[in-house]
Amino acid sequence: MTDFFKRTSSGLLVLYALAAFGLLLIVYRFVMGLGAVTNLSDSYPWGLWIGVDVLAGIALASGGFVVAGTVHLFGANKYHSLTRTAITTAFLGYLIFIFGLIVDLGRPWNLWRALFNWNHTSPMFEVAWCVMLYTSVLLMEFLPPVFERFKLTALHEKWKTMVPWAIVFILGIFTFAMTDSLIWTVVVVFVLLFWELVFRAGLSPRSIQMPLLMIIAGVMFSTMHQSSLGTLFTLAPHKLHPLWYSPMLPVLFLLSAVMVAPAMVIFESIVAERSLGHRAHMNVLSSLGRAMPWLLGIYLVVKVGDLLARGAVSDALSISWQSFSWWGEVLLGVVLPFTLFLSQDLVQKRVGLLTAAALVVLGLVWNRVNVAVVGMIDLEGDVYFPYWAEIFITLGLISLGILGYRLASLHLPLHEEETAATH
Amino acid sequence: MNAMLIDSTRCVGCRACQIACKSWNELPSEKTQFFAGKGYQNPKDLSATTWTLITYNETKRRGRFDWVFGKRQCMHCLLPACATACPVTALKKTPEGPVVYDSSICLGCRYCQLACPFDVPRFEWDKVFTKITKCTMCADRVAEGMEPACCKACPTDAIVFGERSKLLAEAHARIDANPLNYVHHVFGEKEMGGTCVLHLSDVPHQELGHAGGLSEEPASAYSRPAMASIPFVLTGLGIGLGAVSWVVNRRQQLAAQQKEIERLHEIAEQAEGKEPGGTNS
Ligand code: SF4
Ligand code: SF4
Repeated sequence: MTDFFKRTSSGLLVLYALAAFGLLLIVYRFVMGLGAVTNLSDSYPWGLWIGVDVLAGIALASGGFVVAGTVHLFGANKYHSLTRTAITTAFLGYLIFIFGLIVDLGRPWNLWRALFNWNHTSPMFEVAWCVMLYTSVLLMEFLPPVFERFKLTALHEKWKTMVPWAIVFILGIFTFAMTDSLIWTVVVVFVLLFWELVFRAGLSPRSIQMPLLMIIAGVMFSTMHQSSLGTLFTLAPHKLHPLWYSPMLPVLFLLSAVMVAPAMVIFESIVAERSLGHRAHMNVLSSLGRAMPWLLGIYLVVKVGDLLARGAVSDALSISWQSFSWWGEVLLGVVLPFTLFLSQDLVQKRVGLLTAAALVVLGLVWNRVNVAVVGMIDLEGDVYFPYWAEIFITLGLISLGILGYRLASLHLPLHEEETAATH
Repeated sequence: MNAMLIDSTRCVGCRACQIACKSWNELPSEKTQFFAGKGYQNPKDLSATTWTLITYNETKRRGRFDWVFGKRQCMHCLLPACATACPVTALKKTPEGPVVYDSSICLGCRYCQLACPFDVPRFEWDKVFTKITKCTMCADRVAEGMEPACCKACPTDAIVFGERSKLLAEAHARIDANPLNYVHHVFGEKEMGGTCVLHLSDVPHQELGHAGGLSEEPASAYSRPAMASIPFVLTGLGIGLGAVSWVVNRRQQLAAQQKEIERLHEIAEQAEGKEPGGTNS
């Protein structure tokens, strides 16, 4: 234990320092206003924070629903060892993201108003609801290890019986808020109740530990949330560069979020292995790696097909900062890892897997920054570049997230090798 | 529905409207710099305290180099992008015409700024208790039966206020009566589904600082397909995911049972095979 601290203390110190500095800057932001800590302006109302903290942050938290869905709904039990860490990452990711959102919003004290003032046509309304409701689903998914750790068996039992009803309620309200239609609400509630009955009647076998309805709700909310972030930009056809503006944005956002999920799990497991000492299950990670070419391939085909269909190829071939950034995102973040993951050798090795996965993560962040920032820049007017304080607040938030994950990892039974060892 | 018709050929660039807007709405003056923007235009752009702006444009008018003035302000769209975008309906189209803003419910997400195709809404970047600001078409005056402050102040009647359909007819009448003196396009008649502020000009509208390349469809047409698909996706996922998990789990259960049966058979067979010999133990 002591030598583990010796090994990582310098890295930890940097994280603590970044987190503290970020928090300090956030305090400053709430004293002085957004103008004092950002280069945002009326021409660039959204910047680095939306690109990285919000768009990329949410996409990188997709592991939670992809892994939980694959394991519990699609029966891929070999990935079971990854579910708890993936859900914890997603939950912490969402908490950090909500915190970041509060920093970015001009009037965050009004956030709760989204519950009462409904605008069914607004993509931002959908985003706001997804954030709130999916975070509550994630909280439910996150709780079991907490119950186990603190031996709250009675609560755990209550949780098992209550969760399905809570899910039906949440999804019902959500459907009504999004559609303003009682009929649709009844349809969705009916479907959910039907499955719950099927599960309870024992017609479909289920694991008592994991209410399937909760996993289903997680996938439904994530699908809506990931795609709605793309929908946000469909309202800006005159501002977003044609390389990225597409009516398909919601689909592209969803596909890329699904694609980054295994990459993020691989990346995280190998990094956590080095810093926290939890042995990574290499065979599981390799088999995730073998799925990557499919996910990357599908995304690439849809992305390029969309570009062709919209006739925006000439934009990709022209010489400009934007086309440069587009090629970077596609070549480094999709094409290169696609070829890397195809190699059987590389998928077996830690370094290889780590490199390829890191590239996918990088490519995703690059894509979101392209949509939120690079694609919005009008080279003829003022050009936006993040202020140093913007960058440090983002770094501080990321550090907070990593520290939170470390804390959870150290204190909660997230890693299967330990639980398995005690049996 | 109320509207404004702004005829730049009548504008002399006196900026009385800019001042009237500031006084009626009690907006502070702004520190400005000479030649920060285009020529004598001042200030450089719309801002949180400048809701309307006369643009000074040096351009060619019928072959001669000339100064042409344009007026920028909220267009009070018929189907506003900002109102479509706002998650909490802080921005709303009123039946009287003005698009109004209610800061008490605004989140400050600035999505309206991103969505507005005319680059109108402004944000108070230097305040902690900030809000979005923009021209209100003097909704308070209009409610009392008065015309907006800028219309009232204009000495040349370059800005007139009235019923949208009448003003639209008037705009076309002016073009028809004087076809050589106007660009044959009423900016705002069809842009983004039509607006309550209509512009006439004798140079292309974009040269006065108005957004170009706009579609005739309202902004909501762009987000509608994605928004309309929500209930279908939700229901589809609900049915699909439940069904898949049913099939998969049932299959796994059967496989497990099969295995269990085989195991029992094996044990039974082994027991049978071992019985006669019985030497192992
Ligand atoms: S011009 Fe912009 S701010 Fe004004 S109503 Fe239209 S979309 Fe809204
Ligand atoms: S900044 Fe305020 S007015 Fe603008 S879209 Fe967001 S909540 Fe609505």
